[in-house]
Amino acid sequence: MSAVPSADFLAALHEYQPLVRRVCRLYCQDADDRQDLFQEIVLQLWRAWPRYVPHPDAKLSTWLYRIALNVAISNLRQRTRRPASVGLEDDAAQYLAQATEGSAYEPEEMAALYTAINRLSDVDKAFVLLYLEDRPYEEMADILGITQNNVRVKMHRVQEKLRKLLVHT
Amino acid sequence: MELNDLRRHWQQPEPDAAAISAAQLRELLARQRGGLVDKMRRNARLEMALAIVFAGLMLAGLTRTHEIVVRLCAVFSLILMLVLVYYYYRLLAMLRQIAEPGSSVRNHLVQLCAGLRRMFHFNYRLTLWVLPYMILLIYGFFTGRLLAGKATYTWQTWAMAGGILLVVGAVLQVGIVHVTRWYMQRLYGQHLDRLESQLHELEESAGPRSTADS
Repeated sequence: MSAVPSADFLAALHEYQPLVRRVCRLYCQDADDRQDLFQEIVLQLWRAWPRYVPHPDAKLSTWLYRIALNVAISNLRQRTRRPASVGLEDDAAQYLAQATEGSAYEPEEMAALYTAINRLSDVDKAFVLLYLEDRPYEEMADILGITQNNVRVKMHRVQEKLRKLLVHT
Repeated sequence: MELNDLRRHWQQPEPDAAAISAAQLRELLARQRGGLVDKMRRNARLEMALAIVFAGLMLAGLTRTHEIVVRLCAVFSLILMLVLVYYYYRLLAMLRQIAEPGSSVRNHLVQLCAGLRRMFHFNYRLTLWVLPYMILLIYGFFTGRLLAGKATYTWQTWAMAGGILLVVGAVLQVGIVHVTRWYMQRLYGQHLDRLESQLHELEESAGPRSTADS
């Protein structure tokens, strides 16, 4: 396979790069880990791109979420840098400060929620991500490969877990 | 603050999220490192190439000697090398399959778990068979030389060497079993355990939607 990316791949990557970055932001707290994961996702997207067949019922974003989540969840790379429940990095704190600017919430409240999300399992994080991304249950079911009903049940459980974690934070 | 409250802030761009340029992408693809599967593919290709080279050497040896014992040993070594080449061919096909992340998360996890478990068992069985096969080959060679009257050693030496080979082989085999188990658990086992627990977590409380992806 040629190492020269095609124009349509570049255009798709340009459009959906923020999506990939958000997946990395949710799964990795450390900046180096985040960059590693970003590169791995881009690499897998590029490898899978020739087999992507545009379909009227299947959105490109769904395909992208699948690959990004598959890489993030089943990442077979050795994870040795640090556990998922560590405190937030400086750049993440910077993002939080920016995100809460002009909102009704304090950065501390948002940081507590992020810390709680970090304590969730990789599978639970996938539900959180798709919820935050505003994906409908139908698409979530399609990406995850389970029933819509199961998505609802799991989503409810994840939210319950988060509430409990926030109480203990 | 709840998850719903975070939603409206979530999609804001990150401060360090500069768009990746075509040049950066080319550089990234050129030095692609990949994960464990890529490493396994590289190793499998290398080992397959070595097995092919040895198979070639055995074939060359076959054409250069007329001694029946040496030819038989070369044939059995060639068979072993061909089995290894076939094994690496299957391994590479399986790694290609499990490295394809375009299916749903559940299906990808199912494929990864099944693939890694199959590979785990296959690799383990192969490792267990290679040493006894090699010992039989070596011993068969010396027995053949003796039977052909071309040996410089006696039947007593042959029997003693056989005993030593048996004891050393048995000790080595026990060691290999333990080392192989430990190494494979270290290499694949921890990933397999993690992937299986993720699959279990995803599937708990309700069944999968379907095995096929839309």
